[in-house]
Amino acid sequence: MSIVLTRIDSRLIHGQVLEAWVPYIHANCIVVANDTVAAASFQKNLMRAAVPRGIKVVIGTLAEIAALFSSHDLDPLRVLLLFASSEDALRAHRLGIPFEALNLGNMHGGEGKVRLSCTIALDGSDIANLTNLEVRGPKIVSQCVPSDREQDWRKLIQHMGQ
Amino acid sequence: MIGLVIATHANLGAEILLATEMIIGALSQARAVGIRKEDSVEEIRSAVAGAIDDVSDNEGVIVMTDMFGGTPSNISLAFLEPDRVEVLTGVNLPMVLKFFNSQEGLSLAELALLLQSYGQQGITLPSQFLNR
Repeated sequence: MSIVLTRIDSRLIHGQVLEAWVPYIHANCIVVANDTVAAASFQKNLMRAAVPRGIKVVIGTLAEIAALFSSHDLDPLRVLLLFASSEDALRAHRLGIPFEALNLGNMHGGEGKVRLSCTIALDGSDIANLTNLEVRGPKIVSQCVPSDREQDWRKLIQHMGQ
Repeated sequence: MIGLVIATHANLGAEILLATEMIIGALSQARAVGIRKEDSVEEIRSAVAGAIDDVSDNEGVIVMTDMFGGTPSNISLAFLEPDRVEVLTGVNLPMVLKFFNSQEGLSLAELALLLQSYGQQGITLPSQFLNR
């Protein structure tokens, strides 16, 4: 089975992921691919502690997670894969992590970011990353929680004026 | 589907429902009743009765209240009825989220019992299990 949802969420493991997506897609494994969190033991422990028992949690660098997927150890599981940014999603795909669809969940504002919906704000480099990723195959949509309508990411950016 | 009423002092219940929607999206069969200082017992009773009615189908209703012994709880307890209305006190967000995520196949009594224990587990002292 392996990957059932791949999501960019700058908050990584949090309420919407645990309470809305995990039950909706019946995930039994959450994988966080993030170089910063992989090196921060407190944050790592906190995230692990928030996940209900019975759900496997793997937190690693992009390279570690890519190696894990190529080992096929996760194949029997229903995996929810999380990235914090468009850059990480693109890097992960280049490293061979085999996701075929990408959900834009929470990508909140920052300097130079244009807000496109309640939960998505992008800048030029996000657009470039996602465009490069799309060319490689994955279908990219935005959908914050399962009850929101899924929207093609191109629809989101059509008003961005570029 | 089992219905949910949250009966509290002031707007606590309505805000808990808003917080729940922020996390899991739009909710159905849920109502909040908030009592105000000026409300009479009769007004509160009829607000709780109306809310229970609104969210009822044949599977019953759980009324969550903010505190055992408080007025919303005292008045709600008058509606206790096996298989139709169950009252759970000490409402918190984990309990409400679990309500919407765990209904399938559970009877009213089973769901109430599960939510009681889940709500208690939702209270943690992270310094006991996290190492900085």
